[in-house]
Amino acid sequence: MTTMTMDESDGTWSITTRVIVYAAIGAALYAVFNFLSFGFVIPGTQEVSVRPHYGLLTFFGFAFGPVVGFLTGLVGNIVGDFLSGYGAFTSWHWSLANGVAGLLAGLIGVWAAGRATSTGSRALWAAVAGVIATVVGFIVIFLGLVVTPEMSFNAILTTEYLPVILSNSIAAAIVTPILVFAWEPLREQLGR
Amino acid sequence: MRAAFPYLGRGSWLARRDPRVPLVAGAAFVIGVVQLRDARHLAIVFVLALGYYLAAGIPWKAVRLQWGYLLFVIFLFSLFNMLISGGRSGSFADADTHVLVTIPPFGAEISAEGISLMLSQMLRFACIAAVSFPVAFAIAPGDLGVALRRLGLGDRIAVMIDLTIRFIPTLANEFAETVDAQRVRGYDPTARRGGPITRLRRMAPVFVPVTVGSIAGAEDTIDAMDLRGFGVGPRTWHRQLRYDAVDRILIGGFVLFALTALALGISGNSRHYLLPFLVNG
Repeated sequence: MTTMTMDESDGTWSITTRVIVYAAIGAALYAVFNFLSFGFVIPGTQEVSVRPHYGLLTFFGFAFGPVVGFLTGLVGNIVGDFLSGYGAFTSWHWSLANGVAGLLAGLIGVWAAGRATSTGSRALWAAVAGVIATVVGFIVIFLGLVVTPEMSFNAILTTEYLPVILSNSIAAAIVTPILVFAWEPLREQLGR
Repeated sequence: MRAAFPYLGRGSWLARRDPRVPLVAGAAFVIGVVQLRDARHLAIVFVLALGYYLAAGIPWKAVRLQWGYLLFVIFLFSLFNMLISGGRSGSFADADTHVLVTIPPFGAEISAEGISLMLSQMLRFACIAAVSFPVAFAIAPGDLGVALRRLGLGDRIAVMIDLTIRFIPTLANEFAETVDAQRVRGYDPTARRGGPITRLRRMAPVFVPVTVGSIAGAEDTIDAMDLRGFGVGPRTWHRQLRYDAVDRILIGGFVLFALTALALGISGNSRHYLLPFLVNG
């Protein structure tokens, strides 16, 4: 039995054992659901496919902090691309965008922690955090202008950015609060 | 339900290299290939990338669907970009385009420049895919964490990635079991009725138990790691990694490619190439 020095602080940016394990679980869940690819197209559109598991990403960021959110999005998307054979480097800027969205959801979660006193208000904040994190975080995909110099700004805007923020915002606004409602009783029970 | 990293390239020449080689090679390659715009340069690089891919010994049968899907997606995005930009992007941004066909009713143009850009874009993505596949299939799953650690990533992040890979088959099985358990209770995972919001909410009986159950189970993992002194000091790894001469030559080659491509890109010597047979009368 070793004696451990409890010198780790649980600050917002600290990388503790808890952060590592939650990030690993979040990334694995995100990758598995990505691999299973169960999304559906919004009626009336051809390109807008809603991916319910995107709500997992914003939930993990909102509930467990920006570090967990960033790693869940970045590593989860890379590993998901691995599993589906799309390749880790083929769309690395999309993985980064997912990471930034998770990080932003975490930052909003930290900010809302002191303001949301009930489960209902936390769920509402989670939905808002998910949408804001998506709209801002996925601006990163405009790095495609550098990665793929053939792409025009309008092409990225209309074929990538707008469809993805529409579909992911819907998923985040609905799935994230559902997970918050399910998680809050367990969180109180565990004393987190 | 099979959701795990199949080590398809086991025993191949590339799989016998240090596991850091595909990672470093992939990163250097991407840095270099995004600098190249000329389809002729990209065609040469694609042939080299294909040779590298073949060295990974990945059975074609196991990945043909993934290649097909990847090439189809790349083709679609390149096509949309061609139609939206009309060929006025990249090196042709300020050029007069040679319109070949105009598509009603919105007047989208297919131009020689657009087709040339589309070819460059598809070649570039195909190159990146050829170098990315070995990263997924020619590195033993258990070596990924230690390889990233030896490349300078922190202990904790490397362990996090190892844990992610370790959790994938477990969580995939839990997902399958949860779907079966809910099915017995009348849940229909294949139902298509209802709008987007209804369908999202219908997935809660699967999402919620899998997610919350995984998080609750994480407490045992956290306690186990803390009890074993995780994070108290530097982590040791059983697997020892050492570059040999071939590894160094291979990495050197990719770094040289990246530097050459950077030089070509910065000096403007790899501009988009207009396919001559599309404009010659």
